[in-house]
Amino acid sequence: MATDTSPAIALQKVVIIGANGAMGAGAATMFAGGGCDVTLVARDLGKVEGAVAQVQSIAKSERIADGLVQMTYSEGYAKLLEDADLIFEAVAEDFPLKREILAEIDRSRPQGSLVATVSSGLSIRGLAEGLSDDFRRNFAGIHLFNPPHMMTGTELIPHPEMPAERVQALSTLMTERFGRSMITCADMPAFAGNRIGFKVLNEVAQLAEQHGVQLMDTLVGPYTGRAMPPLATIDLVGWDVHQAIVDNVYANVKDEAIEAFKLPEYMEKQIRHGHLGDKTPLLGGFFRRVTHDGRAPEGKRSWTEVLDPGTGTYKETEKITVPFVEEIRDLHRRGRYQQGVARFMEVEGAQADIARRVILGYISYGLNRVGPGEVVQDYAEVDRIMSAGFNWAPPSALVDLIGLDQSIAALERYNLPVPALLTAAKKGEVMTPLFNLPFVSPGRYFAG
Amino acid sequence: MSEPIYLLGGYQTDLARNWQKENKHISAMFNEAVAGALDATGVQPEDVQVGHVGNFAAELYTMQGHLGAFLVETDPAFSGLPTGRHEAACASGSIALLAAMAEIQAGWYDCSLVLGVEQMKTVDSARGGDFLGTAAWYEREAKGVAYPFPKLFGRLGDEYDKRFGLKDEHLARISTINYANAKKNPLAQTRNWYMSEQHANSTDRFNSVIGGRIKISDASQVTDGAIAVFVASRKYAEEYARRKGVSVDSLPRILGWGHHTAPLEFDAKVAESKDNPYVLPHTRAAITDAFRRAGIADVWGIDAIETHDCFTTSEYMAIDHFGLTAPGKSWQAIEEGVIELDGQVPINPSGGLIGAGHPVGGTGVRQVMDAYRQVTDTAGGYQVNGARRVATLNIGGSGTTSVSFIVGYDN
Repeated sequence: MATDTSPAIALQKVVIIGANGAMGAGAATMFAGGGCDVTLVARDLGKVEGAVAQVQSIAKSERIADGLVQMTYSEGYAKLLEDADLIFEAVAEDFPLKREILAEIDRSRPQGSLVATVSSGLSIRGLAEGLSDDFRRNFAGIHLFNPPHMMTGTELIPHPEMPAERVQALSTLMTERFGRSMITCADMPAFAGNRIGFKVLNEVAQLAEQHGVQLMDTLVGPYTGRAMPPLATIDLVGWDVHQAIVDNVYANVKDEAIEAFKLPEYMEKQIRHGHLGDKTPLLGGFFRRVTHDGRAPEGKRSWTEVLDPGTGTYKETEKITVPFVEEIRDLHRRGRYQQGVARFMEVEGAQADIARRVILGYISYGLNRVGPGEVVQDYAEVDRIMSAGFNWAPPSALVDLIGLDQSIAALERYNLPVPALLTAAKKGEVMTPLFNLPFVSPGRYFAG
Repeated sequence: MSEPIYLLGGYQTDLARNWQKENKHISAMFNEAVAGALDATGVQPEDVQVGHVGNFAAELYTMQGHLGAFLVETDPAFSGLPTGRHEAACASGSIALLAAMAEIQAGWYDCSLVLGVEQMKTVDSARGGDFLGTAAWYEREAKGVAYPFPKLFGRLGDEYDKRFGLKDEHLARISTINYANAKKNPLAQTRNWYMSEQHANSTDRFNSVIGGRIKISDASQVTDGAIAVFVASRKYAEEYARRKGVSVDSLPRILGWGHHTAPLEFDAKVAESKDNPYVLPHTRAAITDAFRRAGIADVWGIDAIETHDCFTTSEYMAIDHFGLTAPGKSWQAIEEGVIELDGQVPINPSGGLIGAGHPVGGTGVRQVMDAYRQVTDTAGGYQVNGARRVATLNIGGSGTTSVSFIVGYDN
């Protein structure tokens, strides 16, 4: 059992509470893959068996199940948590439910054992309120991105009472033993990745009301440095999850771009009618795949429809071609990222302006989340979580490609706050080029 | 070797990437690798006098030939650069490097760019398996055969079994070690994949047989990757070292090389070697030639090996062919831990083709790049402590073209 003063953490037994969800099963696979003894806990044996099957399918291995211990809550927490080094709580994102389970854990856990909660934005302090001193000193949020075995980005949100050296040891352990791309965040709504990422996603959703869904997904598409277009991303994440994240930030944060978090009314209306994106395939979200025979246009077995935000109706997608987007994609396709980004910055017209404002807004907002009172303390952490958690070009890599002076001038032209990092770099107080994550090639994010 | 060949380092793309998914043309791989290599080494583009590309089958995978010309596109200073492309199946990268070395030794050039590249994730696995079949005698060994290469390398295992006995658990151990090493390599394709010895020993729906005794866990990966390195004459190396403020003796060299080609068909290889202690004597000769040219008595003068584990059976073969054990006794080195990362002569600290990935025409250059990292103490998590000399073995076809290099320093 590790203690507060021991720099390294010996992790042997990990207990996953709520193992049957995507995060629980993903975490179980990660810990088992790193050589831990993993206990899967769910409500009934059927659910535990479901978790085992999920773990096998993620790991692509039947044998991984050999070492998994399967248990249900009926065993009682004392038995579940016996000798645990880490208790990994991954039940649904529901504050009262998590509170109740964490209180049970506090009553039965071995002293000194680590407790982690998987959350995409609930208050870590709030979850631990009233629990024991030893619990609070060993409690952290661990935010994994979906699916965890593909996205290595991981946010560690330590309870403020967790000693700094234990935070460091946990972060090192997750990096070295489990291959995670770790950042440490302050306990603030949506933490770092979702705060920065959903600001962009929601801003694009707001713009879609005026400019249309397909045009916005084209203007801020993969060529701007992301694996997937923004509105298709919201469909994948789920509109309910999107709403929970932006509402939480909008209600609890004051910052320079907070209006970008206001959920568009048309989205609220669609959500009320059960349109939650890919998880409700018949109703859809921004897009939906239609396969009904009777409604198929001549000669088609299936087709894709797109939402008209103004009316809430869907119509068949049409091919949208924006010449400057095609031109930049062609440059990226040949690995000429610098030229592609330069073209993006110089091209004239209203559509280019819309796209540039979103991307510059991302740079400004992302890099302004760094420093005292902000969610992270080093800009490399913003870079790391946007790349390894979202598959987006990291903000500082964009600045390097645009050029430092040109970036500052463009931000000023669009009335966007210039991050302190850029001002410091201009004075020579910060090394340039700014992007400094080892073994990450930013070119990968600029799709052709 | 008369004129010393200096290795100035280079750059490797992340082998986990899928460039088709990024909608990239193969020229993007050239651009990233060359820009990365110029940046990593500080070689001035104006100093580069010639370029060599190693690639197996871009015509099939990407419908693009004439790859040497793409080097010219990678930097404005390369306008007019003499270039060419070399092919010897999975040994293409090493052949490109040999050509660059020969030109330097002939006194033609002083600074060469060598790039190995393959983009493979453009087709499904059945079609890709058929393409790879052209590295065998296609009409006689591969045409109409699903996944011909696992079957050919399964037969290499069968030949060991027949001559000396072979236990599959030793093959499973080879796979497990390669995957474990790859976890320490931030550019390895499988660095986030699950693997365990139990899994490698199991035959089940997730680890099915793909040919003969070869299962999924015994096989290398389908990989997109480009690797660029610079090699130089003593004249350029001295100038380069002076500019960097280091001694020219601190730059690693390619101390030796060996290169032999066996008959293309697997049956012919086996028939030829039936009275030889080694199953693939020409592969053995490539290794011993490299030792001799480097002035090294035997494998114990080597600190690590990057070998061609396209399948676990090819690494099993490499163990005795390098001389880590007597012929047929490769299992001893596996059982004694000799080939593990902290063993006497670690094999594939990078994870090899099974763990790090196998961009076919890039692999030979990737191995030399990893040897460079080892001897310059820059391999990070998979560093072999104190490595001074590292051997590579790169094989095209079913043991057909074999090339070995020794990278490092004189004692």
